Amino acid sequence: MKFLVVDDSATMRRIVVNSLQRIGFTDTVEAGDGQEALAKFDSSVKFVITDWNMPNMSGTEFTKVLRSRPDGAHVPVLMVTARSVKEDILTAMEAGVNNYIVKPFTPAVLKEKIDALLPATAA
Amino acid sequence: MTSPRAHEVLYESEATLRLVDHELHELRHASHPDPVRQPGLEDLPAILERANTQILNVLTRLRETRAALQSSAMEKLQSTHDKLKEVTSATEDAAINIMDACDRASQMVDELEAIDTAPEPDRTKAGEIRGTLRDEIFLMMGALQFQDITTQQLNHASSVLVEMEQRLLDVAKLFDANGDASQLTGCTFDAIDQGTFDPNATTHNAEGRQALADEIFTSIKAPAA
Repeated sequence: MKFLVVDDSATMRRIVVNSLQRIGFTDTVEAGDGQEALAKFDSSVKFVITDWNMPNMSGTEFTKVLRSRPDGAHVPVLMVTARSVKEDILTAMEAGVNNYIVKPFTPAVLKEKIDALLPATAA
Repeated sequence: MTSPRAHEVLYESEATLRLVDHELHELRHASHPDPVRQPGLEDLPAILERANTQILNVLTRLRETRAALQSSAMEKLQSTHDKLKEVTSATEDAAINIMDACDRASQMVDELEAIDTAPEPDRTKAGEIRGTLRDEIFLMMGALQFQDITTQQLNHASSVLVEMEQRLLDVAKLFDANGDASQLTGCTFDAIDQGTFDPNATTHNAEGRQALADEIFTSIKAPAA
């Protein structure tokens, strides 16, 4: 199962990818912003984990564009961000994000959110 | 980028200076009035009284301008100062967490070595220690998330400095309208892309903030995956 990990911080991408490997997901592809993520997204990607604040294209903008594509309309999108005020969370939800993790996060929270979004047979 | 408050300050300052200019012009005119009628000593008290009133008005406007400038700038600078303090504290917390995890990992390596050198090595216990060791290493990795958050805090601080610089330039230009503006703008810093950081980014109370996100996503049905 392929994960697309989108974050402008190389440190955060590495932490997320390592966390995914630890819970059994080793197939990952990385992008540094929303534009790069759109270029790398294809139907083989089954789960997206994205940051919000990024250059060129933010995580919410990326999610909106992704939702408008036939191959991205239903892929689970998990936002992992430092933004945590109510208005921001609602904005992310309106953009099409399926769940939300506040940085700094623990691997347990990441696993819980992924499990909740994946079909029972996917993991 | 100049905030509405900064524009207001600039407007007030410019209005004040125009008032000063106008009054000086009037005073000059009053000292060389109608050539037919030369002012006499009897006009002097009225001129001085009028000048005094206008100078007081000008000083009041200047004080108001200074107060507006001071309040908006001080507020921003205080918030930036707080952010920088938080960066220091987040860095220190992460360093301590990583050091603690290193200490525990080192102890586990010692325990594994002791098991290996025992006449009858306890392989089950060694397996458990290796699992805990992996957890510790993973904990260290997680602690490095502070780097992303402190980068956002530093970007916020940097953006405030750029904004303050712009305000100072605006004020400087106002007082030197005929000066060489290019000299004033030559020292500007690169503006930080506002979209790349959250001004409220923090390492504090992650559990509480996560609980709020969970509550919102639970109470309002999120889009189905």
